[in-house]
Amino acid sequence: MAPMIPELFAQPLRGVLERLPEHAAMTIEEIRVRENRPLEIGYAGRHAFVRPDGSLTADVRAAYVPGREECRALLEKLTRHSLYAVEEELRRGYITVEGGHRVGLAGRAVLERGAVARLKDISGFNVRIARAHGGCAAAVLPGLLDFRERTIRHTLIVSPPQQGKTTLLRDLVRCISAGEWSHAAAAGWGGRKVGVVDERSEIGACEAGVPTFDLGPRTDILDACPKAEGIMMMIRSMSPEVIAVDEIGRQEDADALAEALHAGVRVLATAHAADLEDVFSRPVLSGMAERGMFGAYVLLSRTGGQVEHRVIASEQAAREFKSRPKPAIRSPDGFAPERPVP
Amino acid sequence: MIRLAGALLILLAGTMIGYLQAARFAARPRQIRQLIHALQRLETEIQYGQTPLPEALSRLAGVVPEPVAGLFSRAAGQLDRRDGPSVREAWDQALAGGWSRTAMKAAEREALARLGASLGGSGRDDQLKHVRLAMLQLQAEEAAAREEQQRYEKMSRSLGVLGAALVVVVLL
Repeated sequence: MAPMIPELFAQPLRGVLERLPEHAAMTIEEIRVRENRPLEIGYAGRHAFVRPDGSLTADVRAAYVPGREECRALLEKLTRHSLYAVEEELRRGYITVEGGHRVGLAGRAVLERGAVARLKDISGFNVRIARAHGGCAAAVLPGLLDFRERTIRHTLIVSPPQQGKTTLLRDLVRCISAGEWSHAAAAGWGGRKVGVVDERSEIGACEAGVPTFDLGPRTDILDACPKAEGIMMMIRSMSPEVIAVDEIGRQEDADALAEALHAGVRVLATAHAADLEDVFSRPVLSGMAERGMFGAYVLLSRTGGQVEHRVIASEQAAREFKSRPKPAIRSPDGFAPERPVP
Repeated sequence: MIRLAGALLILLAGTMIGYLQAARFAARPRQIRQLIHALQRLETEIQYGQTPLPEALSRLAGVVPEPVAGLFSRAAGQLDRRDGPSVREAWDQALAGGWSRTAMKAAEREALARLGASLGGSGRDDQLKHVRLAMLQLQAEEAAAREEQQRYEKMSRSLGVLGAALVVVVLL
């Protein structure tokens, strides 16, 4: 059996996935299970349907179709037989399982006072396989160093979904914590105290509070804690030198990060955005970017199975962005941009 | 001489049967009470701990004595298996496997089986309702069981002795 398939699936779905061809099983990124619809996997940047014998196909009609019983069993396994214990996760639409794999859920939303209270009749699952890529930070980290302060600059990692933001963040945390700076001038710095606020339990994949991924020897982790609150708790109680958070985007996250900045803590964050232009046009992110909160940006992009990254210092980013003429209409569907261009 | 020994044996056996029967009458309300305690604990685990079911059930097994604990630990063990069954199947298997070791009757089993069918399958508030319903049913059964105990516990003891004596008299 391929080592990457999590033990979530019940027979016969499990049997199908175990027979995946070697190259797909080793590079698998997503397993998409939809009730009474074809089974799909994503691997090495591509997507394919899976036949009942495990081979891959582009033909929808030849694909294996998981049934109601398999989906129900999968949901029970995901929730450890306890829907009542994952109400918060159901409200947000994903569950993180053992090993740090995140499973996105789609079903019917139940509203309470106008807000999504939870999902029911869950029939769509997207199992995103998490893996630790040791060494992916080594190429990025030298570009983020602040030699005067002997630490890292405030950094925002930017990429569209599925490009390895969290993987990079995890490895950066490990390197910073262990003092593996990958730079000759930084050889004697030693590690830094890192505080990780892991709202989605994806960075550390904690089991009972202990991370299952290697996050380095000097890392403290607040598991499943809302970012804004967690950042403040970390600053008050754990005296971190670097704070790492995943997927910022709300105003309260920005406020808490600003607080961290003023407290002299270095910040390492990720955000969903297509590119720098996107960062400068998103409501909350742009506010932070324009105030010059970040000292460096890391842009991830992917071609085929390879992840490429580009480190951009903030001055350069501001220059690059300002010099470009702004399009009147940004979205291809003709809607106005989210924020009027000043 | 042999007759006397036989009569003694019959008396002994009759008394034993009577006492065992009486013990069952006494054990039933006690075990139902333990079950109610366990469900109260389950309520707390669901409401405040939001403990996943396998863990919650093995904790329940820790707070009540055997043989009631066996029901919960059996179900928890089933759920923790890698390609484990659904909650309902695990629960039914646990009841089927461990019920005969308890002194409880069909009505209690019915209440528990109904609880098992809904356990884990809904949100917190709904789960609490199911647990409370099961507790109410068990409380009703407990009252009935106590009444039975008062009425039949002593009687079955004396019936054992007297029945044996009757047999002895007839045979002599």
